[in-house]
Amino acid sequence: MKVFLAALVFAAIAAVGVAMVLNNIQQPSSVAFTTGGARVGDPGNNLIGPG
Amino acid sequence: MPSSLSTLKALGAAMAVLFFVAQPAAAQNSFRPTAEAVQEDKLLNALKEGDKISGRISIPDANAANLIQPAGRDWRDFHRSKLPIIGGVAILGMVVLLAVFFLVRGRIRLDHGFSGTKILRFANFERFTHWLTASCFIVLALSGLNISFGRILVLPLFGAEAFSTMSTYAKYAHDYLAFPFMFGLVAMFLIWIKDNIPNRIDLQWIKQGGGILANGQHPPAKRFNAGQKGIFWIVIIGGSLMSLSGWFLLFPYLPADVTALQVWTVIHAVIAMLFIAAMLAHIYIGTVGMEGAFEAMGTGEVDLNWAKEHHSLWVEEEKAKAPSGSTPRALPAE
Repeated sequence: MKVFLAALVFAAIAAVGVAMVLNNIQQPSSVAFTTGGARVGDPGNNLIGPG
Repeated sequence: MPSSLSTLKALGAAMAVLFFVAQPAAAQNSFRPTAEAVQEDKLLNALKEGDKISGRISIPDANAANLIQPAGRDWRDFHRSKLPIIGGVAILGMVVLLAVFFLVRGRIRLDHGFSGTKILRFANFERFTHWLTASCFIVLALSGLNISFGRILVLPLFGAEAFSTMSTYAKYAHDYLAFPFMFGLVAMFLIWIKDNIPNRIDLQWIKQGGGILANGQHPPAKRFNAGQKGIFWIVIIGGSLMSLSGWFLLFPYLPADVTALQVWTVIHAVIAMLFIAAMLAHIYIGTVGMEGAFEAMGTGEVDLNWAKEHHSLWVEEEKAKAPSGSTPRALPAE
């Protein structure tokens, strides 16, 4: 049981770690695929992304 | 003056005749867009495989210049009509097959019962690797099936809002648990490749149906029998294809264009259905299908009689390694 739980914990930590790394090295689509003139003011709550 | 009047009359008559004669021709030449414009289907069908109708854009996303990609229709058709058939036949077919096998054969029990002596079958790191890969696989499989069939099967059950929230988190889990899954896959390959090279003993095992079709038959096997080797290679090859195709889906357009991306999604989806079906068989035989099998990955120790019946050559190898008079890595029953 300890080994099984250790595997679950490792999987969760690895997934969160990868998410943090990718979020740091990648730009959000609202920045990567638009020019300054086309960007929306508040991408998280304005047209793009969750909101 | 009379001359000019008659000339004017003649000119008027000529114009009237011209008007009546020319009117049908003018009507025939009037603009009829639905009849004379290029038919969309004809235009799209004229494009070769992979061709696109593109324009020019100034934003940084070069792929946004593609206005129409006709191959996308085939891709959409595959996901809507062919993939459900492939998934249904593979996964539901396997469930039915296992159910029928269980009803006919029943649980494969030990011929001589439990001996009370246990032997270490898998070390902690081996079990850690197995459960790491397996737990990631289960989440990846369920979230992947939700991507393919959730709209048809899950949405009507929970409603749009709950389905949307659940699918969002499932997608995050699918994207990020792919990485520990790939890590587990590599670790599995490294620690078990030496025991999974096919050999002549496997042919004998296959000829006897693995001994699972009738009571009392136990073809010899080393650490892994031919069936387990088959599962190993399905996991390694299938997992590698899933990882490669998944990598292209995680980072779209980096390796190629949208046409290649669509090809990789098809590969990802088809391999996934077959992979899930194969793992259902693996889970069955490792749990309800065979008495004493789960302990191998559950605790790492198996009963000596189980080991002798299903992996007789492996037990002999372990005995040869051990000091005389003792069973190697044998443990008393708890």
